[in-house]
Amino acid sequence: MRWSLIKAETAPQPAAVRPEGGSFADAVRRNLVLGKLQDLVAWGQKYSIWPFNFGLSCCYVEMATAFTSKYDIARFGSEVLRATPRESDLIVISGTVFIKMAPVIKWLYDQMLEPRWVISMGSCANSGGMYDVYSVVQGVDSFLPVDVYVPGCPPRPDALLEGLVLLQNAVGSDRRPLSWVVGPQGVERAPRPSLRDLKREERRRQTELRPPDTV
Amino acid sequence: MTSADTIDPAPPALHALARRFGEASFTRQPTCDGIPTVWSTAGNFRDLLRFLKSEADPPYRMLFDLFAIDERLRTHRDGQPRSDFTIVYHLMSFAAGGGDIRIKVPLVGDTPSLPTITDLWPNANWYEREAWDMFGVVFSGHPHLRRILLPPWWEGHPLRKDYPARATEIGLFSLDEEKTRAEEEAMHFRPEDWGLERHSGTTDFLFLNLGPNHPSVHGVFRIILQLEGEEIIDAVPDIGFHHRAAEKMGERQSWHTYIPYTDRVDYLGGVMNNFPYVMAVERLAGIEVPDRAKVIRIMLAELFRIASHLVFYGTMTQDLGQLSPVFYMFTDRERVFEIMEAICGFRMHPAWFRIGGVAADLPQGWDRMIRDFLDYLPRRLDEYDRLAMRNRLFQARTRGVGDYTLDDALEWGVTGPGLRACGLAWDYRKQRPYGGYDQFEFDIPTATHGDCYDRIAVHVEEMRQSLRIIRQCLEHMPAGPYKSRHPLATPPIKDYTMHDIETLITHFLNVSWGPVIPPGEAAVAIEATKGINAYHLVADGDTMSYRTRIRTPSFPHLQMIPLICRGALVADLIAVIGSIDFVMADVDR
Amino acid sequence: MVPTPQLLMLTAYFGAILALVAAMLGLGYVLGQRHRTRATVQPFESGMIPVGNARIRFPAQFYLIAMFFVIFDLEAVFLYAWAVAAREVGWSGYVETLVFIAILVAALAYLWRIGALDWTPRRSRPPQRR
Repeated sequence: MRWSLIKAETAPQPAAVRPEGGSFADAVRRNLVLGKLQDLVAWGQKYSIWPFNFGLSCCYVEMATAFTSKYDIARFGSEVLRATPRESDLIVISGTVFIKMAPVIKWLYDQMLEPRWVISMGSCANSGGMYDVYSVVQGVDSFLPVDVYVPGCPPRPDALLEGLVLLQNAVGSDRRPLSWVVGPQGVERAPRPSLRDLKREERRRQTELRPPDTV
Repeated sequence: MTSADTIDPAPPALHALARRFGEASFTRQPTCDGIPTVWSTAGNFRDLLRFLKSEADPPYRMLFDLFAIDERLRTHRDGQPRSDFTIVYHLMSFAAGGGDIRIKVPLVGDTPSLPTITDLWPNANWYEREAWDMFGVVFSGHPHLRRILLPPWWEGHPLRKDYPARATEIGLFSLDEEKTRAEEEAMHFRPEDWGLERHSGTTDFLFLNLGPNHPSVHGVFRIILQLEGEEIIDAVPDIGFHHRAAEKMGERQSWHTYIPYTDRVDYLGGVMNNFPYVMAVERLAGIEVPDRAKVIRIMLAELFRIASHLVFYGTMTQDLGQLSPVFYMFTDRERVFEIMEAICGFRMHPAWFRIGGVAADLPQGWDRMIRDFLDYLPRRLDEYDRLAMRNRLFQARTRGVGDYTLDDALEWGVTGPGLRACGLAWDYRKQRPYGGYDQFEFDIPTATHGDCYDRIAVHVEEMRQSLRIIRQCLEHMPAGPYKSRHPLATPPIKDYTMHDIETLITHFLNVSWGPVIPPGEAAVAIEATKGINAYHLVADGDTMSYRTRIRTPSFPHLQMIPLICRGALVADLIAVIGSIDFVMADVDR
Repeated sequence: MVPTPQLLMLTAYFGAILALVAAMLGLGYVLGQRHRTRATVQPFESGMIPVGNARIRFPAQFYLIAMFFVIFDLEAVFLYAWAVAAREVGWSGYVETLVFIAILVAALAYLWRIGALDWTPRRSRPPQRR
């Protein structure tokens, strides 16, 4: 590997630090985080979603590419891939859901512990994709509750990471019960808007498309 | 409609067959791919096969493929014996001057059956199970004739013409807890079904599911291990978790719209999978591809060979415990994908080849990208040599592990790097050059021991040879059209459509309804990333294929795993599985 | 008898540990959601139902390896005991220790020769041992 060292003298200086405020309120603001317990718990949950080492098909290779250096899912908090469902939070159904494999997926999903989320990655998992055949389940949402659908065949690793960010935002705004013993039960899900609607205006404005004749 | 088939002069093997069994023991069928095809009968096909395997000169030592065709709806079958189900045996010989030969056996009736050939070739085991699963052909004498690609509780035989293809025709899928439990029970492993003992005299055996969800089995592959302590006594592979019905899909998609489905058969191979399919269609249609298209195809195919081998290399080292190299190799793969995206528009499944050429011409500036890549990769490969191949732990875990002899490899249908690691310099690009490979200069790496280390070494050296081929493509790219002007090239080059109505009509029909390929039968094989990949297409004068048979290299490779790992430790099995280089979509299609 | 300050501190420390562990386990038990299906309580075996359970008769080599470890570990313990009293027992003690070690080395050589330490599976063994 090619390494380079930056000498301390020639390194760019960091931006000037804000001068000391002096007031008590400033000191508190800088050193203490105050918030509702629910928000803190949701914040913790959303930035440490550990995926399950589960992949079915071609989308798994793109998911693996998202785990590697160029796309690096670790910077989103999904540092650890767990090989056992009991220690993982997220199962990414990456690839075609086969009828022979469906009970296995359900079995593994049942072995995951709460809280758990499902990202359906790729056209085959979303709806069966281009495989309208006898051995393929037309969409994993026929037997699993899906939180985020990532379209593509296969989706680029960037698309999967966008799906993960969407999931993180959703997890941050969901309200989950703090305990199964006390308190209201049942998850209060925040609305998950369709990105097609959110991005429509921006996409409509893209009228200049680069022709593919030059690199 | 005139057929595209021709009859070539008979090879020596057919003369020998005629001398031994008499002229009346078989009839010849013309095909368009130059492979002699003879029809035998259910009574004498075993003798013919045995003769071809051992006594013919040259001997046809490998059972390359075994599949069935449902002939009940076929219209163009003149000169062929009456048959409802045809079983095809495709044999391959490795001697100089030898070729392939196909024996076909006609079967009549709705419940066809014929004797097994697992005593002649052990790799016929899974092929016959597949024919039973897909067509309902009973092979009498088969040791374990049960379903292989579909769940054990499945009813019906899907590749029969009367079976619905679409999931939406079958009914809505639902899975509640009861059904989950019932299906899991059906897949529960019972050692008695496979003739395995539960305990020896002094110890109990542990039956471990190295199941469909495991990081080391590279996909949804299940292998049940019979363990005594840590030593594997026996192993039973269970496949079919990745069956996507690519062969049934071929009967429902037009010749042109099937190309994306071929991409996804070996999902690391990308356009390498399009290659045999479009070549087979071009053979049926009689299309001659221009030189520029040939060189573009070769260049992209070799780039995908490098990409697939990088995944192999990275996951192989990862399986052995070296967790870092895979990150470097995936970064290199990103470079390949940048080139792919610039030329083809997409990363993993470009579906770039078309019947008659490629989809569009190369963009300007492609040579700079390829040159940068060619300068970039060799140094990285040298670094991986130091990281992995010369690492003493890596060598200790791969040398002498999972070895098999050349005879074993030929008996079990091993092709590709696994065969070359045993010492046989057999590469389809050199022995049966196709698509323009005879114009290129490259070597075939071989090794001697046939163990894991040698297979990996062959893969690494193949990457360097692929770089050589790409450099030759770069420096000698011919000018010219990127697609043939044949009327069946789909979609045709557009400029003529702007001038006359006949071309416009042809263009419209070819793209919407599909090109009508003349009836015939052709099989084309290539040296794909994992071994020899062959597409056998049966055309019936329609816009869709009548039967698309995909012979994938990884199917026989997985069959061999119990042979290799009996008596080894579990950790050795992981090394073996990694070194075989398979993807499940290649196995189950 | 009045407990000494050290004893009180130790008891308080012990109590704090117990409280911390109880809090961790208790909070872990109480917090979060739950679900339970048939699959949840099954051992994880890559998504399949396991064949039998793990309480089986293992090959004797596992037991033997454990036994050998215990024996040689206790040898090390005895050597530690001798090392503490080495000066007091003098040269005769040294010679007795050498005899002790020699007997155990002979036992180790015997085990090595008969292959009791051999973990190599059948397939990888040199042909005469197969």
